[in-house]
Amino acid sequence: MYETRRQRRSTFDMIRDLMEDFEILSEELGEAAFFEGPSWDTKSCCIEPLCTVSVTEDEVVITADLPYTDPDTVKVETMGPNRLEIKAEMKRRIRFDEFGITHRQGEFQFFRCINRIPVPVDAKRLKTSFKKGILEVRLPRKKARQ
Amino acid sequence: MSESVRIVEKKSVPSNALMLHGLPDVGLVGLIATSHVIGQLKMDEVAYVDSDLLPPIVVLHEGLPHAPLRIFGNGELIATLGESALPVKAVQPIIRKLVEWGQNKKAKLMISMGGLPTPDRQDIESVKVYGAASMPSLLKTLTDKGIQILHGGFMVGPYALIMRYCAERNVPAVALLAQSFYNYPDPEAAAATIKEFSKLTGLNIDVSKLIEGGEEIRLRARDTMKRTTEELNRMKKTQEYDLPLYV
Repeated sequence: MYETRRQRRSTFDMIRDLMEDFEILSEELGEAAFFEGPSWDTKSCCIEPLCTVSVTEDEVVITADLPYTDPDTVKVETMGPNRLEIKAEMKRRIRFDEFGITHRQGEFQFFRCINRIPVPVDAKRLKTSFKKGILEVRLPRKKARQ
Repeated sequence: MSESVRIVEKKSVPSNALMLHGLPDVGLVGLIATSHVIGQLKMDEVAYVDSDLLPPIVVLHEGLPHAPLRIFGNGELIATLGESALPVKAVQPIIRKLVEWGQNKKAKLMISMGGLPTPDRQDIESVKVYGAASMPSLLKTLTDKGIQILHGGFMVGPYALIMRYCAERNVPAVALLAQSFYNYPDPEAAAATIKEFSKLTGLNIDVSKLIEGGEEIRLRARDTMKRTTEELNRMKKTQEYDLPLYV
């Protein structure tokens, strides 16, 4: 592998190699260091929804998949400068046995997740929309001079 | 490397059948669609894929263990169904074996149902399905059936390899790819691909239950989608958004 890398002349290639190594290392460390818990919590009757955070030139866009949700119950709140909490209530309670799981007890009625906001944003200008069960939150980025 | 994967046949597998592939990919479109087809046609498990490259997982159904990558069949159709994300290192040998096995079974056409990651998918009211094929004559078949051809761009992942290996071996294959979410389960896109599958094969599959039960499927598929997304990211699936150099 070292020979292969030496044959590459470009600085960009070397940077790419280093980034690939870093990516693999951080994945391995991440996998080894943290216990990955379930995506649900029976005490709070909460399920963690699937979420995506993306950053564009002007804004941070956070989406969440919230099936079975009554749109009027969706709550979006910032927690400090770099975290955003999403909460929503399902139209009905869902039990484990509805998923074919009979060895666990419990039911769920809420979605809840906290997402990290990766760059500074103007949270006061936050906008939300809800379509096809997908919540979209748009947060304008703070410009350097702000 | 192909020897590291074996296909264990439990029952007689039909020859000269259509071969459908439903593997975990963007929006779990293929998995949801194929699972629905298997249920609607009441297909039986006829074989499974065994490999040391797969994680040590069994899927319990009614208390009994099943392999995460199984093959179902009836007289005219064979369907592969992957219930767990394929690790990136296992994708090539497994797909190579599946194509080789399908060719030995004289599959008359391999059909991959999948998703085409589309930004702002939630704004799309009527999902479009695009087609790609392993040989020119099949592109004409797709066009004759009113399926729009995916003329350029990248395919990444299991379905990309099915197309490539089928083209290499001169096996007839098509991919039906619906506009879909990248990392959210998308039953609506699955229903759209099934409609095109029905047009192409003449096998009529009712998708009303899939559409009515869409929200429940999204909830149930959440954890599988999460694991699949992790593998898709490892195989650089987002390259499908890239503009190709040569057009």
